[in-house]
Amino acid sequence: MEFTWMIGAEAGAGTAVTGRTLTKVFTRGGFHVVGYPEYPSLIRGGHNTYQIRVSDKKIHSPVKKNDVVVALNRNGIIFNRDSVKKGGVLIYDSGVDAAGLKMPEGVDIFPVPIRQIIEENKLDQRMANTVTVGISLGLIGYPMDDFFLILEKEFSRKSREIVDLNIKAAKAGFDYAKKNFKGNFKFTLKPISREKKRMIIGGNEAFAMGAVAGGMKLFAAYPMTPASSVLHYLAEKERHFNIVVKQTEDEIAAIEYAIGASYAGVRASTSTSGGGFSLMVESLGLAALSETPIVVFLAQRTGPSTGMPTWTEQADLRFALHSSQGEFLRVILAPGTVDEEFYLGAESFNLADKYQIPVILLSDKFLSESHFSADRFEWEKVRIERGEILSSIRKKLAPMERFARYKLTKSGISPRVFPGTPEGMHVATSYEHREDSFSTEDFEMRASMVEKRERKQKLLEKEIPLPKIYGKKDAPISIICWGSQVLPAVDALPLLEKGGIHANVIHFSYLYPLPKKIRKLLKSAKHTILFENNSTGQFAGMLKEFLSFRPNVLALKYDGRQFFPEEIAEAVENAHKQKFRRKKVRVVDMGEFEYYNPAAYSEVV
Amino acid sequence: MAELNDFTVKEKPQWCPGCGDFAINMAIKSALQEAGVEPHNSVIVSGIGCSGKMPHFVRAYGFESLHGRVLPPASGIHLANHELTVIGVGGDGDGYGIGMGHFIHIMRRNYDLTYIVHDNQVYGLTTGQTAPTSQKGMKTKTTPYGNLEEPVHPVPLALTMGATYIARGFAGDMKHLASLILGGIRHKGFALIDVLQPCVTFNKLNTYDYWRQRVYKLEEQGHNPSDYAKALEKANEDWKTNYEKIPIGLFYKEDKPTYGSGLPQLNVPLVKHGLKPVGLEEAMDEFI
Repeated sequence: MEFTWMIGAEAGAGTAVTGRTLTKVFTRGGFHVVGYPEYPSLIRGGHNTYQIRVSDKKIHSPVKKNDVVVALNRNGIIFNRDSVKKGGVLIYDSGVDAAGLKMPEGVDIFPVPIRQIIEENKLDQRMANTVTVGISLGLIGYPMDDFFLILEKEFSRKSREIVDLNIKAAKAGFDYAKKNFKGNFKFTLKPISREKKRMIIGGNEAFAMGAVAGGMKLFAAYPMTPASSVLHYLAEKERHFNIVVKQTEDEIAAIEYAIGASYAGVRASTSTSGGGFSLMVESLGLAALSETPIVVFLAQRTGPSTGMPTWTEQADLRFALHSSQGEFLRVILAPGTVDEEFYLGAESFNLADKYQIPVILLSDKFLSESHFSADRFEWEKVRIERGEILSSIRKKLAPMERFARYKLTKSGISPRVFPGTPEGMHVATSYEHREDSFSTEDFEMRASMVEKRERKQKLLEKEIPLPKIYGKKDAPISIICWGSQVLPAVDALPLLEKGGIHANVIHFSYLYPLPKKIRKLLKSAKHTILFENNSTGQFAGMLKEFLSFRPNVLALKYDGRQFFPEEIAEAVENAHKQKFRRKKVRVVDMGEFEYYNPAAYSEVV
Repeated sequence: MAELNDFTVKEKPQWCPGCGDFAINMAIKSALQEAGVEPHNSVIVSGIGCSGKMPHFVRAYGFESLHGRVLPPASGIHLANHELTVIGVGGDGDGYGIGMGHFIHIMRRNYDLTYIVHDNQVYGLTTGQTAPTSQKGMKTKTTPYGNLEEPVHPVPLALTMGATYIARGFAGDMKHLASLILGGIRHKGFALIDVLQPCVTFNKLNTYDYWRQRVYKLEEQGHNPSDYAKALEKANEDWKTNYEKIPIGLFYKEDKPTYGSGLPQLNVPLVKHGLKPVGLEEAMDEFI
């Protein structure tokens, strides 16, 4: 059983608030829920949408069609009407000028006088969102008690009166829909379980919590979509989590604050998107050469340059892999789900600490800003492994000597010591250096230090797990993907099953290093199709370079949206029909979701 | 209590013979010693340039960052462990050129740390290009027909940006400089010590003699460092007198709450916090 709802309105009209409230209502009812916002890079005037997909089964991704669309303005009707399924409902605010608009066929059209409802019930204009949620719930007869609880939680800080007015607004919307909807749409929804209290959470918040669970004590960042909500969330919660959060003057300062704090002994991190990361890359090398652990959360968006700031892409992988001059070891992780944002977020600090290297977590707009129902994170199970740190040094330093911070060890890992520790004085330096940290241009020492730092990869590779397989291990077709694209990929599996195609998903969340042991797993897959949200197949290139592996088909999408399950299923079906002979497929969103092209709509005013 | 020798390393500093940096090095060490700070509780943070070598020549903890990036890591170190004595050391190119953004913003924050700028009006390590503090008309490798730009005036800039301890020292007077640095270390808040530092190799204009003929000590003229208006007047005196009269000493000092005093999280230094996270259960409740 599944239900999909979408709201479309002018930017600033509160689609996100309305959408998020409804996701909470359905999640509390025991459903699996995905909430998916889309918005242009404008504060006012653009067209925003929020889609909610609800199911009694585990779901992962937004889809292309909706059962119910709520349009709060004229463009909401124009841009979103084609996404209503046959037999679905298009609700629109009858206060907007809908004259002369072509309405979709085979769909119930339900005009709702939102302003009138507000006036008749003596409500505040700001409660239009609450009325809208009430109308939506009324249409499907969904009990309102959870919604009331949420309103209570949200507004009780303000005043009892505001809570009561909102409840009144919700009821007014609900009753209006119950009384006045006379269409053919008969779908109803009831809560399925109240036992398990799942969260509904975004990728950025999940990473932020993972970082806290991983013992992060200092977070410094500069705002940039789609990473900003990590900073917002942690700033709001800095006292609650007992950490320090700093918005710095720029991204260079942000990463340098984090590196400084890490050198001084606390776990530290920063978040940004591609443009900000461009400014950080010189410092990434500083972290590498001074062997100072650092975690960078990099939420990708559509590039190059400013690109399309509020849309998604997976095109910063090669950039992350090669960023900063010279050669140095780093780890690149790409969480695929909110769970992985949390647990890999926490784990990234262990990897950074143990190997004293930069760890880059690649998220993207899609995963960072969408919301997913998830079980509570088991933060108590997160292990904190800080690696080799000397909390005290027994051996007294000889006069005028420094501590051998960069000892040429067998493992390549040299124990760290933090400022404040007697007998540990040394310099963490961006210059090549000797064991005692004094800068050097001795060729033998230089070569030895390069090798020392490289040696760490051997131990590190032992810790890299195999990619995760969703579905049957021995399926005849394997969908390969990385990061967030696992979400539509997994949701494509049941669509493919319907057509008699059996496939599984091989998902990479550890992108670099890629140890040889992974090759065997990939080679055992029968037919492979790799999906990437970029135009050059960056991960395909890495698989070829590091594992000598080539998928049969490479499917690329780089129009600003992630893949939808329907698109993945279609691409796999086509590849299957062509016996996996075609090498490269280009996927571009068309039709029902193509509403950012006003030229296509003569009715837009 | 540590002795001066405890701050000394066996390597000889790599500066040119006669460089003003030697005096700054000695002044830092003696100020730390006099302040009663142990080597293991002090951190010298530098960028890149001749000044950037400083951490290697003070036996303390050190962080040698990137060109222009002295203050951000120094801030991070300070926030992570505010019990440490953190001294940032940079050049005029480092701090007033490429790192100017950080300089401006750190003064809004009043972190409790000290920032020493080797102000030699030239780029030394890159062999003699014009610097942000090069005087107008100065000939360098990159301004062979004379510098067309006005120099940055760090002292009045710091005054208008709200720095709470602002001093200028002269590398030709080590003892005086050391006392200014000591004052900066003891000051609860952000301390700037701009140091007139002759570059004997690349700056043939602003030599030891040049400065000696022009500098005078503010304290000898009875300057009151809590008088902001007077401080501003004195801060602009050098360029307004066409560098005839150049005051050194403490221009301004003000007691203001530090940034850290606004953070209850820092009642205990971050580095001493337990590793167990707090507050996640309640935080998760908010997503239900």
